[in-house]
Amino acid sequence: MNVIEASGLGKRYGGTWALRECSLTIPAGHVAALVGPNGAGKTTLLNLAVGLMAPSAGSVTVLGGLPAGSLAALDGIAFVAQDTPLYKNLSVADMLHLTRNLNRRFDDRYVKGRLDDLGIPLPRKAARLSGGQQAQLALSLALARRPRLLVLDEPVAMLDPIARHDFMATVLTAAADDGVSVLLSSHVLAELERVADYLVLLSHGRVQVAGDVDDLLACHRVVTGPTAQADRYSEGLNVVHARRGEAQVHFLVRTNGSADPVPQGWEAHPVGLEELALAYLREPGAAALPGPARGDDAQLSAAMR
Amino acid sequence: MEIDKPISKPSGAEPSRLDAGGEEGSPAVAGSAIEFRLDPSSGMPTYLQLVQQVEHALRLGYLKPGDQLPKVRDAVASLVINPNTVLKAYRNLEAKGLAAGRPGQGTFITATLSQAGLPELTGLRRALSGWVVSADAAGLDDSAIVALFTSVLRDFRERHDSSAGRPDTADGGEAERVA
Amino acid sequence: MSALAMPARPEQNASVRPLPWRRMIWVTWRQHRFPLTGVAVLLGGLAVYVWLVGRQLHHAYALASACHPAGSPVCSVLASSFQSMDVQLSNGFVWQPLPALIGAFIGAPLLARELETGTFRYAWTQGFGRRRWTLAKLVLLATTVTAAAAAFSVLLSWYYQPYFTAGNQGRFLTALSPLASGLFDLRGVVFAAWTLAAFAIGALAGVLIRRVVPAIVATLVAYAGLALAAATFLRQHYLTALITKNVDVPGTALVLSQWWTKGSQFAFGRAPITLLQRICPPPPPKAGPGNFSKSDFVGQCLSRHGYTQLTSYQPASRFWSFQLIEGSWLLALSLLLIGVTIWLVHRRTA
Repeated sequence: MNVIEASGLGKRYGGTWALRECSLTIPAGHVAALVGPNGAGKTTLLNLAVGLMAPSAGSVTVLGGLPAGSLAALDGIAFVAQDTPLYKNLSVADMLHLTRNLNRRFDDRYVKGRLDDLGIPLPRKAARLSGGQQAQLALSLALARRPRLLVLDEPVAMLDPIARHDFMATVLTAAADDGVSVLLSSHVLAELERVADYLVLLSHGRVQVAGDVDDLLACHRVVTGPTAQADRYSEGLNVVHARRGEAQVHFLVRTNGSADPVPQGWEAHPVGLEELALAYLREPGAAALPGPARGDDAQLSAAMR
Repeated sequence: MEIDKPISKPSGAEPSRLDAGGEEGSPAVAGSAIEFRLDPSSGMPTYLQLVQQVEHALRLGYLKPGDQLPKVRDAVASLVINPNTVLKAYRNLEAKGLAAGRPGQGTFITATLSQAGLPELTGLRRALSGWVVSADAAGLDDSAIVALFTSVLRDFRERHDSSAGRPDTADGGEAERVA
Repeated sequence: MSALAMPARPEQNASVRPLPWRRMIWVTWRQHRFPLTGVAVLLGGLAVYVWLVGRQLHHAYALASACHPAGSPVCSVLASSFQSMDVQLSNGFVWQPLPALIGAFIGAPLLARELETGTFRYAWTQGFGRRRWTLAKLVLLATTVTAAAAAFSVLLSWYYQPYFTAGNQGRFLTALSPLASGLFDLRGVVFAAWTLAAFAIGALAGVLIRRVVPAIVATLVAYAGLALAAATFLRQHYLTALITKNVDVPGTALVLSQWWTKGSQFAFGRAPITLLQRICPPPPPKAGPGNFSKSDFVGQCLSRHGYTQLTSYQPASRFWSFQLIEGSWLLALSLLLIGVTIWLVHRRTA
């Protein structure tokens, strides 16, 4: 089942397209990271997926074909927006009661146990909780609904490192225990490599990269070698991004996955997720989307031999 | 890489081997004998770090056949990593024949690592010391020695594993995709 | 695609029955506790006040109306003491802001606060659904404020009842039209209808403006404009006005305008000074019996010259018809505004 399927999805504000021609299939059972610089369209995409916005073009379905925003979709998706909106003058107990009333499923025991572990007292007003506690409360309420998909919009941007650690531990434990699929957006790449196993890279409103993290890392590598031979060697390669020095050049290339040997004097290194994402973000024309490109790579590598 | 000794945990039924001989009457402790730790500065993929920690623990005797590996959710909660990463590490160990999963209970060690015998280790150690002396005489400092060794080791692995057919390379390219 | 995907949660039924409406009762109450309590305290306090002064008023009225003979000095004293009671309340204008305040402070923040603080991103992604959530809140709050206003209106009607009891006009009260603005609004169904309309205006302003304070202000302004239009114009024309040549239009009627005709043709509204000076020179200062007023003199003079005065008015007997007409269009307007509000909630994007 695909938790998110977007087809030509686009959203326009006035004359500007915040998101364009976005086609995605995010499979279930993954922790998917939606990554991109500020203004890339991450929040727009998430809002479209949870039904807070209607698309200007294309369509998006969730949880295996349900229309985004329909009652069945709302039932199965829990969303925590940026800045974790809570009713500030309600107490924690009131927020629990509220969420219980507004949803079909609510695991009271789970959420009370969580809040107990976190030391969040039930009678306290939500406004008097710390930022980390508010985030944990919002997350606990979302998970108490027993959703199939948890959507988080920049959940840890405002949290200190400890709160960030605890928050993500909660998310991942829920994913491990209950099989909740997770889609979270972030503009901080460094921590995502441990956490995410599916990556969607958005830049200027378009999807640049989408795929399973293991596959992406297997399909890319950095080859390093002398600048003098750079042009000749790079002809047969699908170079995503090049960094040239006086004597040495690094090419981040996209392969078809096989570990082809490099010529004498060149070295191949594996590439990390952050390096990969940064390289694509610096090259707006490059894209790594699941689909046809693999065939081209095979022809190119064959020609190169 | 460190292996943390177990601290008693409230869950689980088996007493840890290393706690045998502890106080009388202490409750049954510890789900797992080891705790994982991540080294963020190592270039190695997370799942491989976990695999290596298990193998290291096996070598040092912290783990013996029958011991339970950390539950997926416990490893996820303490390391804040993707559950699939832990699953992948455990599958890797299963493929190597070192561990096996029991449905509903967890993953357990099933074998030990074959070790080189003690005389071989001594000989290897002596050869390596000689090489280090030569490298030092040639003017290499510590990090240059390590870089050279790592590079040679990686090249060896690549050539060895690509010819062996099923790559288990250090760059993490385990080929489990459906093409 | 990794073959190691975590076991995803099993499929659940794709078609879900909506959640029961009654769950929104607690939700609405808890979220709007303060404005609802504030309105309750306000109306409660005012109700106590009205009841206290009303009892005094009714008592004074009972004394004055039971007094015989009507013109004697003793009864005149009682009559004037009744008339001088609570003059500030007597024209009803002091109650006019109430529906606006109730509607603005309960209706406007309803959606505006959610949109302003961003909590709609929580509320509209819960399982209840955003349209049903909005509809439930609007209906519950509209019903509550309308019922409270209706109850208060009954109390006000009781208070003003001595002024309108048939037969006291001419005895010791200046005539008072039940159709007059200020008092018409307080009695019957219209007070509750105006409160409902203010609430509906507030809700729509809230979803359009998306900020609480500007929405409240806009609601009050819009309400004031509508109320002014109704009072000065609409209310006079719900039914075609009656026209009479009779100079003695009953005091309870709502007089719309008066004008003079000559020979079935419109002559003028008020007699021009030049004409009066020509044909109706003012009489000597001390001529005539006591109650002879200047306008009576002008009236008699003009009619001797063939002019007829016509008066258009709405009789007091049309009070309930007018109440129903005004109540109906206010109700229709409220339903329309509420419908538009729900449609906008459905269409509005984050």
